[in-house]
Amino acid sequence: MVVDKKTVKNVTNIIEGLGMNPNSESIGILEDIGTNSKVDAIREMTSRALVKRNEHDSLSVVITNKGKGINDMSTVVAMSTINELLSLTDKTEAMQILTDTVEQHSDEEVRDNARSVKALMALS
Amino acid sequence: MANLSIPSIRERLFNTSRHETTTQRSTNPFSASSFKGNVLTADVFESSTKQNQPVFTGKLKASALVGTISGIGEKFQNIINSVVGFGVRVKDSVVNGWNKLEGIEISFNPLKERMTSTYNSIKEIMGTSISDLMSTGISAKSVSKMEDMTAARNMLAEHVTAWESAV
Repeated sequence: MVVDKKTVKNVTNIIEGLGMNPNSESIGILEDIGTNSKVDAIREMTSRALVKRNEHDSLSVVITNKGKGINDMSTVVAMSTINELLSLTDKTEAMQILTDTVEQHSDEEVRDNARSVKALMALS
Repeated sequence: MANLSIPSIRERLFNTSRHETTTQRSTNPFSASSFKGNVLTADVFESSTKQNQPVFTGKLKASALVGTISGIGEKFQNIINSVVGFGVRVKDSVVNGWNKLEGIEISFNPLKERMTSTYNSIKEIMGTSISDLMSTGISAKSVSKMEDMTAARNMLAEHVTAWESAV
């Protein structure tokens, strides 16, 4: 079954709009619904919107949570999130969260991923 | 009485110049017999105006016919020339019209560029495309200004579910 263009466009616009919404509650909405979707494209769009927001809470969702953002099982979603992180003009907050994740996170896989992304961001 | 001997007849048949000297200047049929031996020296039966009028012989008829034919050909040539001239004028008109059309088409290009730049300017000013404004769907700009987060959550959940159910 093929998704109609209108549905795709609506979901894209809602995720993009919530990423720009100044209300911090929008981050929770994106995390609960967007990053937990079974559709890779929705998870990818949500992760990118959270990275673009470039706030501590939004960046923490895609860096420190296992199975989300840079730790997603889908390579496309993970690479797309990393690419968005590398595209940030101000990487200060993202580097700080990556450093804390490498030093303090309980899951080894999450730490390794954070270390790799931090190395990439340092080189970029 | 006339001399009807064979030599005399032969002489009249084959050497006529000597006999015609007496009848050369006259067309009067009675001049040969004369009036009591006196030959008229002037052709009194011939009109003086008749000599001035051209005699319409067979050759003249043919010449007139040829002239008429050549005249008809000239008329045909004139007709053909006028038709050809008309065709040339039509062709020139069409060519000129085509050139004018090409000029008009070229003159429309700046208008197209102007319209494109205007469209882009409007798009930049409004932050979204005109197609987004025209469509009845949800725009990112409207969601970014939403204050009711419950409604935003329900909206996202509804559309994500619709997408997931379609996969």
